[in-house]
Amino acid sequence: MKAKKGQVSVMMGNAVTATVAALCRPEVIACYPITPQSEVAETISSIVADGKLDADIVEVEGENSAMNVCRGASLAGARTFTATSSYGLVYMYDTILETAGFRAPVVMANVNRETPGIHAVSSGQQDLISTRDSGWIQIIVENNQEIADQLIMCYRLAEDYDIQLPVMMNYDGYYLSYLNEEVEIPVQEDVDAFLAPLKKQPKRPVIVPGAATGAGTHGMEMGYVEARYKHWSAMDRAKKKVDEIDKEFGDYFGRSYGGQIEEYKMDDAEIAIVASGSAAGTAKDVIDDKRAAGIKVGLVKLRLFRPFPEERLIQALKGKKAISVIDRSICFGWKYGPMCTELKALASSIGNVPILSYIDGLANLDITIPHIGRVVDETAAAAEGKAYQDITWIPLEE
Amino acid sequence: MVIKHKWIFKTEAPWSDANEKMLALDTGGWRTERPVLDKSLCNYCGLCALYCPPQCMRDKGDHYEVDLKWCKGCGICAHECPRKALTMKPEGDFANES
Repeated sequence: MKAKKGQVSVMMGNAVTATVAALCRPEVIACYPITPQSEVAETISSIVADGKLDADIVEVEGENSAMNVCRGASLAGARTFTATSSYGLVYMYDTILETAGFRAPVVMANVNRETPGIHAVSSGQQDLISTRDSGWIQIIVENNQEIADQLIMCYRLAEDYDIQLPVMMNYDGYYLSYLNEEVEIPVQEDVDAFLAPLKKQPKRPVIVPGAATGAGTHGMEMGYVEARYKHWSAMDRAKKKVDEIDKEFGDYFGRSYGGQIEEYKMDDAEIAIVASGSAAGTAKDVIDDKRAAGIKVGLVKLRLFRPFPEERLIQALKGKKAISVIDRSICFGWKYGPMCTELKALASSIGNVPILSYIDGLANLDITIPHIGRVVDETAAAAEGKAYQDITWIPLEE
Repeated sequence: MVIKHKWIFKTEAPWSDANEKMLALDTGGWRTERPVLDKSLCNYCGLCALYCPPQCMRDKGDHYEVDLKWCKGCGICAHECPRKALTMKPEGDFANES
């Protein structure tokens, strides 16, 4: 470990996001406030106003403009930052597609909230799921320390010359956004040092005033096919890169998260729970209790959702006797939750075992210890060959 | 997968260099009408060039001339011309021109 001890304090998730984003020295920030993200926009604005960060803040009239500003600035070579949630994320939908297609390495914090449809000012991952195929790298974190650390890693990932893709870091709104937790904020020199390798890489093309260049707009026929193939290939490369950056971060700062997935007590586990976000923290406590009661259960925390960590998941889950997936969103048109549906695509590699889908934690309903306890018990029963429900909406059975 | 395609973009992201080969559509092929100038009415105000969406009005010193390689025939120049110096004429009228 090379890093100096950082300032340890009790901080709200949104304050951590703004504080650490500033340490990454973005040059252009365009951030429209929306519940439950507003403190991110407010805090980073005051950091700049106080003269602690030399950045241009573009005051925009909405999220669509915010993402357009970030894409433009990114194509001109700037490091950019924005944050949003729910309605804001879908209001910038066309421009997040362009940002990805143009390969602009924008970093965005998305504070998860239920999406339009049913007006729910409450937590849920439906906004993340709604942008699944946007071509962004999507990462989900569990707690406030992970917000701090992953945000730094997001810049290393997005701006890596081999990747050149926008990265969306997701954390649970209302839970982490407003949760006060002990967090160690890395010191500026260490963040600078960790991001320094980017400066040694070849320079990506940027817009130069007066120069005759075209960015992202020329994708007819084979140009389109080629751009899509390169984007698709970069997404595939990103999987390994996430693991490498996480390892390097661990060596430098003494904290690491497993990269694409975090495996908790999986080595000797006979059954596995797959969860993400803050619910994964609760699940670890449940797993400790169930292990004390003699059930060999482990947790796979899904950190990388796009690209989907196919190889790591197969490696972690192969040979397990039953698997349950807890989704905090739903998949219209499929019977199972979105993450469960994706996992089922790997069934032929994992093995012919029961895969149970659970929907829980919609609209600020807690994914509780008893809920996850029930999931573990039912997964253990399925592993023994007993009958099981392949899809369960936990709140409806309470 | 064996890729037979020859790469169009030299860069990872879809960037093109217009000094060599700009990847652009030949928008002139879309045209069904073209603007025709009556030079006696034109006072070289430049509004046609300002409003032209593909920016294909060329400055000739005392008037503007349309570049038919790019003109889509949208008619905005003729619509905006305050002196009605530009008139949209059907492409059929020019069918016999080389």
